[in-house]
Order: sequence, then C-alpha cells, then structure tokens
Amino acid sequence: MQSIIALMSLPLFFALLVFFSSGRVRTVLTIAFVSILSLVSLNIFISETQNIEMNLTHLWHILFIALDSALLLYFLYQGLKNSHKWVTLFAAIQIVLYGLLFTLSPQLKSSDILVDDLSMVMYMIINVVGGSIIIYSLEYIKSEGFSRLKENSFIALLFLFLAVMNFIVSTNNIEIFFMLFEMTTLFSFLLIRYRGDEVAQTNALRALWMNQIGGVAILGALLFSILHYNTLYFDVLIANMDENYLLPLALLALAAFVKGASIPFETWLLGAMVAPTPVSAILHSATMVKIAPFLILKLSAAMNDFVALSVAIFGSFVFFTASLLALSKDYFKEILGLSTIALLALMMTLASLGSEEARTAAIILIVFHAISKALLFMSAGILEKSFHLKYVNDIDGLINHSPLVTFYILIGFASLTLPPFGAFLGKFIAFMEVARKIEHEPLYILVLLFMTLGSVLLTLLYFKVLSRLFAKEGLAKSSRKKEIPKLFTWSASSLVVLLGLSIVVAYQLNLLSLLELLIPTLLLFSLVLLFSTVPFKNAQRVKEYHCGERDILKASMFYFDISKRYKNVLLYISISIIIVLIVGVL
Amino acid sequence: MLEIVLILIVPLLGGLIYGFERIVRARMQGRVGPPLLQPFYDTLKLMDKALFIVHPYHVILGFLHFLTLWIVLAFIILGENLLYIIFLHLFSSLLLVLAGFSVRSIFSHLGANRELLAMVAYEPILILMAVGFYLSTGSFDISVIRENPSALASLFPLFLAFVLIIPIKLKKSPFDATEAHQEIVGGVEIEFSGIFFEFLYMAKWLEYIFVYALLILFAGDNLYLASALSLVIFILINAIDNATARVKMRHLLIITLTVGLSLCVLNLLLLAY
Repeated sequence: MQSIIALMSLPLFFALLVFFSSGRVRTVLTIAFVSILSLVSLNIFISETQNIEMNLTHLWHILFIALDSALLLYFLYQGLKNSHKWVTLFAAIQIVLYGLLFTLSPQLKSSDILVDDLSMVMYMIINVVGGSIIIYSLEYIKSEGFSRLKENSFIALLFLFLAVMNFIVSTNNIEIFFMLFEMTTLFSFLLIRYRGDEVAQTNALRALWMNQIGGVAILGALLFSILHYNTLYFDVLIANMDENYLLPLALLALAAFVKGASIPFETWLLGAMVAPTPVSAILHSATMVKIAPFLILKLSAAMNDFVALSVAIFGSFVFFTASLLALSKDYFKEILGLSTIALLALMMTLASLGSEEARTAAIILIVFHAISKALLFMSAGILEKSFHLKYVNDIDGLINHSPLVTFYILIGFASLTLPPFGAFLGKFIAFMEVARKIEHEPLYILVLLFMTLGSVLLTLLYFKVLSRLFAKEGLAKSSRKKEIPKLFTWSASSLVVLLGLSIVVAYQLNLLSLLELLIPTLLLFSLVLLFSTVPFKNAQRVKEYHCGERDILKASMFYFDISKRYKNVLLYISISIIIVLIVGVL
Repeated sequence: MLEIVLILIVPLLGGLIYGFERIVRARMQGRVGPPLLQPFYDTLKLMDKALFIVHPYHVILGFLHFLTLWIVLAFIILGENLLYIIFLHLFSSLLLVLAGFSVRSIFSHLGANRELLAMVAYEPILILMAVGFYLSTGSFDISVIRENPSALASLFPLFLAFVLIIPIKLKKSPFDATEAHQEIVGGVEIEFSGIFFEFLYMAKWLEYIFVYALLILFAGDNLYLASALSLVIFILINAIDNATARVKMRHLLIITLTVGLSLCVLNLLLLAY
C-alpha cells in the first residue's frame, strides 16, 4: 500500500529536487531516483499477490476537480491564444460536459484506487523503461544548448509524467482517470512544444486537439455510465454491463484509439517527432500510448461479441495500414513511429480477444514492445547526436563507424519480429488465438488476414532499414570509430539486458517448449560470439565483385508508396469501422 | 532414434533430390544431364578451394543461415508446432538477407532486397496454411497433422496456393527473380566462395526438403498419397520451370498476393462455415 502511494508521489518530489539541482548533482540524483522507482515497482511486482484497494478522502476529490477545471481552462486559453478552432471547440465541449457531470450524483460506489496484476506490470514498464529514458535524456538534453532552467524543467517534466502514468494505471474511478488522461495530454503538449519553434507549436496544438477528442469520449462515457449504470467506477461498470447499453464501452474504446494514435488519429504521434528524441522514446514506449491497450484490456471483460469483433477488426486493420504506410518513409523516427502505431493496434486486437492466453500475450507485447521501442528511439537519438543522421538512406554503413549502435538497432528490430523474444511470442500467440476465434466467428478471417499481411510488412520494413546500416566495408580502413557518450550506451545496454530477460519470462509462461526457446537463443548467442571473436584469420580478404565496372554502383533502400487516393480509401475504411462500432451499440 | 538419424542425414537427402532434379530437367530439355551424385562432387571440389572472404560477418551469417534451416527441418521431423516452424524458417531467411546486405556489392544488395520481397509473397500464404491445418485438424502440431487422415480435399485451395509459392522457395522459373543469374549475378550468393559457398549450396538442398516436408502434410497419414503428391508436384514444378520465362519481382508479388491470398481466404471461409 505504502509503496503504491510512493510510486505516485515520489516522482513529484523528485521532479522538484531535480528542478533545483545542476551539473553532476543532477546526474547523480536522477540516477538514484530512477533506481529507487525501479526497485519499488519491482518490489510491488514480486511481493504483492493480491489486488490492492484504497479510497481517497473528500479533500483529494476536491483538489482533483480544481486541477481538472484548471486544465480545461488552460486548454481553452491555449486554443483562444493561438486562435486554433479545434483546440477551442473541444476544450469548450469538455468544459460543458464536465459541468454537466456535477448535476448528477451516482449512487453505486467502489474504491478509487484498484491495483491489479495488470497495474503492477504497467508500474514496471513505466518506472524501469521510463526511468532508463530519463537517464538517457540527461545526456541528450545537455547537447541541445538550452538554458539550465529549461534543461531542468525537461527532466522534471519527465518525472511528473511518470507520476501521472503510475496514477492512471492504478485508478478505478473514471472521473480521476479522465483528469489523468487530460494530464498526459497536457504533458505531451508541453513536451512536443519544448523546442519552441513554429513546427513544434503547430504539432503540439495538433496533439492537443486530437487528444481532446479522447477526453470528450471519456466524458461522454462517464455521463452515459452515470445515467444508465449509476456509477463512475470501472469495476462496477464492467460487472454490471448490460448487453443492450454498451455506449460507455464504445466511447472508452474510442478514447483508447485516440491515445493509441490509431489511424485516423495517427498524425499527432507522428508530429511529436519534432520534440527532442527522449520525448518520442518516452511517449512511444513507456507512457502515453500504452494507455490505449491498457484501457482495452481493462474493458475486454465487459465486451460483447460485436464490440470485441469491431475492436479486433479495427486494430488489425490499423496494424496492416500503418505497416504499409511506413514503407514509403525515410525519416528514421517516422518509421519507428508508424511501427509503434501498428504494434499498439495489434495489442488492442489481442486485448479484445478476451481469452486468458490472449490477455497474457497482450501484456507480453506491451512490456517487450516498450523495451524494444525505447532501445530503438535511444539509437535514433544517438544517431542524431553523435552522427548527425536522421534519414535512413544517409545511414550508409553505420556498422563501420559504430558496431554497437548497429547492434542496438539490429536487436531492437529482431526482438520485434523473431523468436525467442517476447514481442515475437505475443505475435505468435495472436495468430493462434485468432485461429481459435475463427472456429466460432468466420469474420475473424478478416482479422487474421490483416494481421498476417501487417506482420510480414513490418518485417520487410525493419530489414530493409537494416540494409543501409549493415553494409560493411570489406577491407578495413583506418579506424573511424566514434566515441559515444557513456550515459547513452549505459541506458541502451541496460535495455538490451532486459530484452535478454524476456527469454526467461517466455520460458516461465510455458507457451513454448524449452527447446523452441533455447535454439533461437543459442543461435543469436553464437552469432554475437562469432562476430566478436572475428574468426577466419587465415582466409584471404578480397574486394567485392563489380562485374568489371569501374564506377561502383550503390544500391539504395527501396521504398513502396501508394497513391493519395488509396491512402484516403484506407483512412475512410478505418473511420467507418469506428462509426460502425459507435452506431452498432446504439 | 529414427528421427535422429533422419535429422543427421537430411542434407544428404536434399543433395540427392537436387541431383535427381538436375537429371529430370535435363531429360525434359533432351539432354543427358549430370550424374546423380554431381552435387556431392561439387561439394568435394568446393571444399578444396582456397579461402577467400569479403569479411567475416558475411560468411558467419551465411553459415548460420544454413544451420538455422537445418534446425527448422529437425523441428519438422520431430513434429513441432507448424506456426513456430514457419517463423523459425523466417529467421533463417532473414539471416541470409542480412548476409546479402552486409557486403557493399550492388548485386548482393539487389538480391537481398528481392529475397525480402519474395518473403512478402510467400510468408502470408505459409501462415494462412498453418491456420488452415489448425482448422481442419484442431492442432498446429505437425505430429498431430501427420496422424490425421489426409485433409487434401478440405484444404484444396490452400494446397493450390502452396504449390503457387513453391517455385519462389526453390528459385524456379517463373518466380526465380531473387537470384536471376543473368541480371543480378546470383544475388545474395555472389560474394560467397569455396567452402563458404558450400553452406549456401547445402542450404538450397535443405529448402527442397522444407518444401516437400510441408507438401506431404496435405497427405496426412496416407503415405501413398504423400509419395504421389511429391512426385506429381516435383514433375509439375520442373515442367513449369522449363516451359516458362521469368516474371518481374512486381508481377511475382501481384500474382501471389492476389491469386494466392484469395485461394487461402476462400479456403478458410469454407472451413469456417
């Protein structure tokens, strides 16, 4: 109990301390704070076996209402100040709906805080992965050339973000959930805007108005829930779910789609790339977008066949579409971003399937996607800072300059596609579970088809990117190795270790046999071992064969793009699935 | 015991099929063709060559491609999960792709790119095929599929889709653009030589076994049907190889993803209703 309160309150305190520190003290403090948070979350995960319930006093509720009102007014102010009609509109709608909330008084009460096994897993992701990103950003932010105050506020904001995330995965009260949802919107707005230029401003406002759609959806869900179910608590709502009145469920699912940046809402997350890379890293892996599969997982128990099928089709369709769209991109962070959108959609599909295995698979995917994506975004940041590279096609032969960073990217991609890693396991179970579903409901063939195509396209995407990094020069020239700052490599390497742990976790789940896990592990291990020992000393080195051409041709990465018209078709399809979902439950 | 022996000799078996195929193809063209053991003579010759490498990473990846493929076959013989085997096979193909990307040769890169695109063509069909087997036999395990009666009748469209992608895996016309000797000088293979090429060569034999091992799953526990299927498809694939011209990568993708996937979806629909 105390440790859960600590997870929610300590980051606030840490943020304050970091804000007023500087130089080496700041580094030491941050590392210490991250270690504390990681240990606390680890301890909760290991020692707590039962759900923890807790109520907040009336004073807290009043404080939250005040905070929430201030937030909504701030959004309205931002909308008016920047004369942005969508921000203003959605802020105004939210203020009206939020006001309506106080005219109603639901009777069925439950506890405000409810920590279950899912929350405990989320604590681990948020604090361990998010924490390593904060350590990473210490180094990153130094090279941005901002004032000390601005640097400190960046680190402090990241800590605050962790606090909000720890809170949002513990709450059972939809009203508090709404407040925290809006907080994450605020933080993403502030972080995206951080660099302060015009693009940053535009993209931050876009993130603001799009995420407010989610806010409106939650408020709608809250109002209908109170009107029909007489409650504002998740557990009561889920336990009493009435087959004929699923509107609150559909609206909450819509909020999840917005947070998960599913197509058609993908632009806010892609626009977040203008922020410093740690922001992308933390948004994509440990925080913000993970609310989407978390929420669907929470709701899956209450879904009827229609809602579950709609969410599954929507998720698999977005999985396919985002993977397809990523094939035409050249900006490394954009490629990673679209792959996040795709995999989040896959998690939502898995979460909607409802069986115990599918739930486990969704959680595994959430965890290991977080680690892999954090690692990949860290690599993207290192590429920017140490090599001044942003576009994949420019990353020619990275392996000659930094085998380590190439290794990070290779492991990051491989862990999302191949056995024995956790993300693979999630995908593997997804196929089996959908196959099981087809037996009862043939429409799941559609889900299977999109999932199959999406996963193949993602593999294609990852490995075509590697084509640029991996081109090693045969005859070694003088060493041109780059020195990479220690904090970068430490934080990235710790994530690689965590990925290694995934194999142990995978074994404990008993989903694959020991042999099936051990073989790919040994293969990977021997690959790394052979690479680092450099055998074949007695073999003669030769140059590549160029068919006698004097000018050496270079192959560049290939791209695949579809015309604007087809992109619109894809967009309309996903919008219509959402509309079908909402109309279908009415 | 039988399984272990089979696992150990599986590359030799592949070599024999490869040698036999060269004879069949030659006879179709009115030639005599090489002796049956020619692939093994080639092996002996390759082992005798001096060691030339571009860099160690390249040859290590090539060797691991062969090793992984061998393990894939071992898993098939042991009757493991079909879906898992398909993904492990993907792993082995990706090692080859990485080997292709690891040298700064345009032909090798083009070959590896085409290898990736070919994967987009055949991988979905393999996955849907596994689901088809699950729906008809109730299990993903190859051991169970092999004990059940033949599912060929209920999986016929999937069977056709699988036959459609065999030429891609075996690098046969019309779908052999991945290594197209005349335009990209063998693609991924170009920078391998001597003993290191030998592993790639043997990996090719293993692909034969992989394809035919999956093919006979359609025969279930019926051994006669299994032999008949293998023989008919073997002759059919070689006849098509001799009779058709190579199509471009683009057309390969369009054909497999439209015709192949439609067949798969049709089959799954039939199974589900």
